[in-house]
Amino acid sequence: MDWLLEFLPRNLDRLSVWIGVLCTLAIYSLLYRENPVYRFFEHMYIGLAAGYSLGPLGVDILYRYWIEPIWIQGYWAWAFVVPYGMYLYFIFSERYGWISRIVIGTLIGASAGLFFQEFSSRYLPQLNSTLQKPLWVSDANPDMTYGMMINNILFVVILLSVLTYFTFSYEQRGPVKRVAIWGRWFLMIGLGAIFGNTVMARMALLIGRIYYLLNDWLMIRVGGG
Amino acid sequence: MQARTQTLWQRILGIDRRWLYLILFVNIVTFLVAPIRMPASVSPPVQKFHDEIEKLQPGDLVMISSNWSASTLAENQPQLEAVITHLMRKQARFTIISIEAQSRDISYRLAERVTKEKGYQYGEQWAHFGFVPNLTVAIKGMVTDLPGTIKQDVRGTEVSKLPVVQGVKSLSDYKMIIDVTPSGTVPIWISYSPKNVSILYCPTSVMAAEAYTYLDSGQIKGMITGAKGAQEYEQLLTVVGLGTRFMNAISFSHVLIIVFILLGNFAMFMNRLQQRREG
Repeated sequence: MDWLLEFLPRNLDRLSVWIGVLCTLAIYSLLYRENPVYRFFEHMYIGLAAGYSLGPLGVDILYRYWIEPIWIQGYWAWAFVVPYGMYLYFIFSERYGWISRIVIGTLIGASAGLFFQEFSSRYLPQLNSTLQKPLWVSDANPDMTYGMMINNILFVVILLSVLTYFTFSYEQRGPVKRVAIWGRWFLMIGLGAIFGNTVMARMALLIGRIYYLLNDWLMIRVGGG
Repeated sequence: MQARTQTLWQRILGIDRRWLYLILFVNIVTFLVAPIRMPASVSPPVQKFHDEIEKLQPGDLVMISSNWSASTLAENQPQLEAVITHLMRKQARFTIISIEAQSRDISYRLAERVTKEKGYQYGEQWAHFGFVPNLTVAIKGMVTDLPGTIKQDVRGTEVSKLPVVQGVKSLSDYKMIIDVTPSGTVPIWISYSPKNVSILYCPTSVMAAEAYTYLDSGQIKGMITGAKGAQEYEQLLTVVGLGTRFMNAISFSHVLIIVFILLGNFAMFMNRLQQRREG
């Protein structure tokens, strides 16, 4: 009896759990077949997610960074920022489309400038790390084990063969073609690892929902905990 | 005309996929309810993650970038819970920032619940900076002037008045950045954050494979991969969280999927063989 009283949606917390369960079951009903209940909840989700974003955008961004500086702190120049950004919408006008190019130019200029920093911070350390990998055990590398040596050699072999696969400047023939084929195989193994991880991620999401149904809704304490 | 009877292999190949979903559902429920707990072998990226946080001194400041929403809750929630638990054990101060609108409230509520259990004070030992829509611009701003860029926390208090970041002028004053995310945000942190701040990464399983290059080059110092990584981390912390609770079901659902794949392929080969024999 106590369990039943706790189970029923008698307060707001329980009601929210029941609504969550209804949404979950409606969305998973697609697994049985396409149906109008699923369609309704799918559209509701999309609408809710889009609508929800407006709140934080209004409070955290527009008010904090635009309205407050103009109205409270008196930085009136900020008033021009949003209209300037909105020039982008002139792209839909045949006559005034050129105005949108001013904003596009600003965006491209900023992105190009940022990319210099991004390239040096993101890719150069990787090149550096690759070039510094020791390929044999010696006195110069006292911490190096034979396992690490094999790992590093494999790394370099895979790197070079995959790079060869992506070399399209000349026709790949003979040994170069064989190396490129190896590169393709290594790529396939890499993509297989990504796919395996994707399966794990999707399973975790499903398990998360089933955990919610069991733990939060049916109040069965689960999971060996 | 008499209908040709189906062979066993053809019947296996023709199974309605909804039966497979049902078997998967029963399998997951069984192993969620089963009162067993599988031990995990801790992978090197998770061990490195743990060791890096162990190096923190009481009072060190950590930035958590929490960018996940309800859709990846099952993977990112156990990670964030475990990370906050460890930071509190080390008596580190931390601030949270989100570039995902939904994540602002989800991560704030989660952190509030976990910190309350351990008596961690909001404003004194941790704070939430709310939602910023463009991470690149936010990082560039925080590198030069953190209070001027963030302005207010999620409760509307001015950042410059929060004791947790008292005296902090820029992101360089932080010791560590932890990115908990299902999106490709870690390259942005790597590209624009100060070089003296170490970066740790908690991706969903889908994103993890791409991050090994950053791990190998030392651009990130450790990684917790999805719910599986969270389970390993919880084991290191000797706590039972969602990662541990999910792991039986994750492991056995994988076993089931492998069985389905093997059975499907075997049935396909046997069916082809039979058809060839029959000409």
